[in-house]
Amino acid sequence: MSPHTTSPTLQVCRSCGAGAPVDAHFCPQCSKILSLGRHGDYFAFMGLPRKLKIDSRLLEERFRGLSRQFHPDYFYNADPGERRASLERSSYLNDAYRTLRNPISRIEYLLKVEGLAPGGPEQASKQVPPALLEEVFALNEELDEIRAERASGAAAETWKARLERARAPIDAKRADHESQLDKLSEQWDAAVDANKGADERRAVLTALRDRFLERNYINNLLGGIERELSA
Amino acid sequence: MSKVVGIDLGTTNSLVAYVKDGPPVVIRDNSGDGLVPSVVSIDEGGTVYVGREAERRLLTDAGHTAYSVKRFMGKGIEDVRDEARHFPFRIGGEAGGVIRIGLGSREFTPPEISAFVLRELKHRAEAFFAGQGVVDNEVDRAVITVPAYFNDAQRTATRDAGRIAGLEVLRIINEPTAASLAYGLDKRHTGIIAVYDLGGGTFDISILRVEDGVFQVLSTNGDTHLGGDDIDVLLMDRVGADLGRPTDAERPARAEPTHRAEQAPPLPSLERVQELRKAVIQAKCDLSDDEETVLNGKRFTRAEFEALIEPIVDRTLGPCRQALADAGLQPSQIDEVVLVGGSTRIPLVRRRVEELFGRKPHSELNPDEVVALGAAVQADILVTGNREMLLLDVTPLSLGIETMGGVTSKIIMRNSTIPATGSEIFTTAVDNQTAVDIHVAQGERELVQDNRSLARFKLRGIPPMPAGLPRVQVQFQIDANGILSVTARELRTDVEQTIEVKPSYGLTDDEVERMLLDSFEHAEADFEARLLIEAKNEAEAVMHATEKSLRAPDFAEIERAELAPGERQKIESVLAGLKMVLNGNDRETIQKWTRALNDTTQHLAEVMMNRSVHAALSGKNISDV
Repeated sequence: MSPHTTSPTLQVCRSCGAGAPVDAHFCPQCSKILSLGRHGDYFAFMGLPRKLKIDSRLLEERFRGLSRQFHPDYFYNADPGERRASLERSSYLNDAYRTLRNPISRIEYLLKVEGLAPGGPEQASKQVPPALLEEVFALNEELDEIRAERASGAAAETWKARLERARAPIDAKRADHESQLDKLSEQWDAAVDANKGADERRAVLTALRDRFLERNYINNLLGGIERELSA
Repeated sequence: MSKVVGIDLGTTNSLVAYVKDGPPVVIRDNSGDGLVPSVVSIDEGGTVYVGREAERRLLTDAGHTAYSVKRFMGKGIEDVRDEARHFPFRIGGEAGGVIRIGLGSREFTPPEISAFVLRELKHRAEAFFAGQGVVDNEVDRAVITVPAYFNDAQRTATRDAGRIAGLEVLRIINEPTAASLAYGLDKRHTGIIAVYDLGGGTFDISILRVEDGVFQVLSTNGDTHLGGDDIDVLLMDRVGADLGRPTDAERPARAEPTHRAEQAPPLPSLERVQELRKAVIQAKCDLSDDEETVLNGKRFTRAEFEALIEPIVDRTLGPCRQALADAGLQPSQIDEVVLVGGSTRIPLVRRRVEELFGRKPHSELNPDEVVALGAAVQADILVTGNREMLLLDVTPLSLGIETMGGVTSKIIMRNSTIPATGSEIFTTAVDNQTAVDIHVAQGERELVQDNRSLARFKLRGIPPMPAGLPRVQVQFQIDANGILSVTARELRTDVEQTIEVKPSYGLTDDEVERMLLDSFEHAEADFEARLLIEAKNEAEAVMHATEKSLRAPDFAEIERAELAPGERQKIESVLAGLKMVLNGNDRETIQKWTRALNDTTQHLAEVMMNRSVHAALSGKNISDV
């Protein structure tokens, strides 16, 4: 077991009272489906390492395989406890699959289970990340001028073209962030594979979190420009 | 062991199917008819007619006859005011409550009317099993299909209809998904499938990935108010204009925006309007095979028809593109396209689908029957534990709750695989507050008022604490039927909260209990009545075939070249005779005249058959001959 894992490693079968590993889906004693009491995170639940590069074919296969094990369709004639457990496990599996399928929500989830929750989207959109101060300041100034231009009745083509020019550096920033996130994801996976210590992992995660928050901020900015353009 | 079936409860027609060993089969009546028109007629004496007989009563007693009721399931009166005027029956109900349909002096909710159709299907299946020598022929469990784009209220209303009809509803499944299940039986598919389902009243598009026997829906979209009915209304308006009659736009609204459906005197033209509707539907069917037909005494070509309905067909394309985008796919990535629903017989619909996806759609299975077949497969999976196939469907609409300023906060996103859960933490605004109001809605819009209100909950029993301190976790669970349930827990004290659910457009459990159909006369269970209905069905089939032959573009030439002098006149007089006796209820007379028409037209049928064989052999199109 890796050193940073502190969660309990056992769950209890409600049917026979036997103990089962926390990542098990069926009781090793009575083989009934386990209710979703104590359980692993999305990665562990789907039998995947806690890494950011996931082979999508493997993810799909796991999803289908586990669905075949505990979908409510197959528990129609079971007792109410098992039916409940099948519903809970299927719901959790579907959440896990949806979260891990998308690279961005996967990063967000990893940060959460590693204790570096980036905070809600509100926080991300209100505070200007220090690394973006310069660009944001310039953009806001430009936006104010464009708004004034528009209010004074300038032709739509004129201010729209100016708006497009204003967003170009932000677009470039976004592309830069996407590739940084990609690189950091690889670094994280390498740290996991090499069983690196907590400090090194923490450094990668912190960088991931900062880029992630900046990325959200940039997306909100671009969304705002999008709205201005279409207004 | 009692029997389980799959039921397609359609806007226009309904069917029942079952799995014996192997492929699913549609259960038919003695004349081979699998479709039960979703029409219910209830006379003042309380006698209930369902299916073909009820459909006929539209022409004699339209004010007591309801059809296309699926359009009203899970709806409120304010949702349907615009379209209510197209229907001969009264549509009323309290604002913010369930719709009431008035038939004569009685009133019914849409689930009750649907329950009559379901009970008819149940009886049909039971009679069939009895005929097969099955000892325990009772049918008490069923899988029922709904449009994929149905919201929670519409699904719940469908489940209620099943319960009212005395059926345990094993599962509500989506129609396009059911269809894909039926198609998946023949060959071991692997790939991406698009199911385009245009029925009588609803449109659905679903994109699925099929692999290892798992049918995983990637995305779904649609319009629960778009279908063949809308085409009929357009055609009727057109015919009305030809006749110099008021169009629907000018006709007075029949919807009563009052407390309850009122006793309005029926307009004199109710039955005439239904006659016209029947003619319009016939013309629509004719134009699926032929280049032209006659509607209301005038020539009506396919080109005119297509120009008229094009806007309706084009309305299906937006949802298709959205579903593709949601699945992250380009049209070229779709491996197979499957057509479902009677309206996909229209050639223009097929062309549009082919253009969009760049490939010829599948239509090997009867588009009217494929949904019921899939429902039967799903029923079999549930009761036998057969693990060959598994359906993983999605919720079509995002689920959200109302937050500050009437804004929707989404908790479960659309196209999430079901079952799915979501949760939200609530707190209090004032000291010692013990209850919180929660408003749940479904839809994609920013403001709650633009989405579908599902229910209002009152969270009670919150321990008195200073404002902002309680943490009530509300858990939303969408089950495999796509139906929502809610539980809540105060996290600081770990106290389970009581939740009173008031469905916005649904029935309470007590109401459903009271509606059980047992108190009604079982007119359709009567054996003699059943035989009469079948005789009438057969008569109509022969009449229809004859009329079609007489209207054929090359009929004049056939008559000149091949028919004996006076042969046409004889056919026409027997046809008129059968039409007349069909208004009565004497089964033997109807059967006698049906045989007579069959005999009289035998020669004509042979001639036409020879000509088409000849045309096929000489490689020419029949219309070129």
